[in-house]
Amino acid sequence: MKPDALIQAYVAEVVRHLPRKQRADVGFELHSLLTEELRGRAGDSEPDTEATLELLASFGRPAEVADRYRPTGFTIIRPADAPRFAWVSLVGVGVQWVITLIATYTAPATGAGDDWLSRLGTWWLSAGLGAFWWPGLLVSLSIVAAVIAARRGADAPEWTPRAAAMLDRDSIRRPLYVLAIAGALVGIAALVAAINLARWWPGLPQPLLDAFVIDEDFLATRAPWALVLWAASLASMIAVLVAGRWTRTTRLLGIVGDVLWVVLLTWWVAAGPIFVQPYADSVTKGCLLLVAGLCVLDLVITARHVRQGIPEPAV
Amino acid sequence: MVDLAKHEQDLRKGVLVLAVLSQLREEQYGYSLRQALVERGMPIEEGTLYPLLRRLEAQGLLASQWRAENGPPRRYYSLSASGAELYRELSASWGSLAHVMSQLLNGEKQ
Repeated sequence: MKPDALIQAYVAEVVRHLPRKQRADVGFELHSLLTEELRGRAGDSEPDTEATLELLASFGRPAEVADRYRPTGFTIIRPADAPRFAWVSLVGVGVQWVITLIATYTAPATGAGDDWLSRLGTWWLSAGLGAFWWPGLLVSLSIVAAVIAARRGADAPEWTPRAAAMLDRDSIRRPLYVLAIAGALVGIAALVAAINLARWWPGLPQPLLDAFVIDEDFLATRAPWALVLWAASLASMIAVLVAGRWTRTTRLLGIVGDVLWVVLLTWWVAAGPIFVQPYADSVTKGCLLLVAGLCVLDLVITARHVRQGIPEPAV
Repeated sequence: MVDLAKHEQDLRKGVLVLAVLSQLREEQYGYSLRQALVERGMPIEEGTLYPLLRRLEAQGLLASQWRAENGPPRRYYSLSASGAELYRELSASWGSLAHVMSQLLNGEKQ
């Protein structure tokens, strides 16, 4: 290939990565400069293919050169977020694969030819590949966030001492915390009211009253423990409210509370009916398992927070 | 082993823009600018210099125009008003920095 053809091919590859309106202008200039560089390097002799290739190699990969022409663009995923992004993406895909593989191989056989390999093939073409919606969604959301951040530009909130104070995750906003305590009390009151629905509002429609008929055994043996835990949780919340911040002690109490709630809720679900009506019972148990899951999540987050701290170096 | 070339490259990167602005007080095109920098002991890779000119122009620090003088058309660059202002400010900063660095390095030798 002749030197000029090589340069033309190289320039075409560079400008291919540039915005369309820049291509002709940058391409012409780059071609002209590379030609002049080549002549400069060759001196009095005629430039050859080898010298041209050396020049192009030293100039850099076309995509990298094109990057240098562009102003600093917006970053979709910041380097600091990249490891967490990769972790969340891969774990999300992995969890889906585990769940769907278990479901695939525990499903009853459908007949001849339904062997493990055919199930694997069917799984891969459906749930296996389908699981990649999750990283796709994360990237899409990151793009939206990056575009919004880029548009905000100079309007982005300033990093001020007040903003720095927000880093103190142990401090609480008292008004919001009061609202949280009030919400918890309303929730407890609603549950107690639901249990006593027939006694307090006998005029309500019979199907509604029937749905809330609670199991006597549950009420006598398992339910009272909730009162103990509610009282302990409220006492802990009030202690945090008075102090205005979480302490290591209140965090540890929170972890113990989460463990006790998970144990209690699991016991409630496993030890027998909660409501007499099977439908109401199964819906309630589903909700309770969800609450138990949230307790586990809170437990993990709180445990990580308690454990976090900068350890002293070994000396 | 210490990668001297990389550290030296990083050192030069910091003064790249100032070096380019200093030579564009007079109109130059890409190749002539690179030659001028080489002659004064400041070689800059072509793959770095030519895109840099476009970026500085996009920032409003340089003005450019195509001209054909005794040869093919070339794009000539020179300082814009804000480029000249930046050049003055960076020159002052560089003077101060060079003085401080000189003191630091001499102090280290003593």
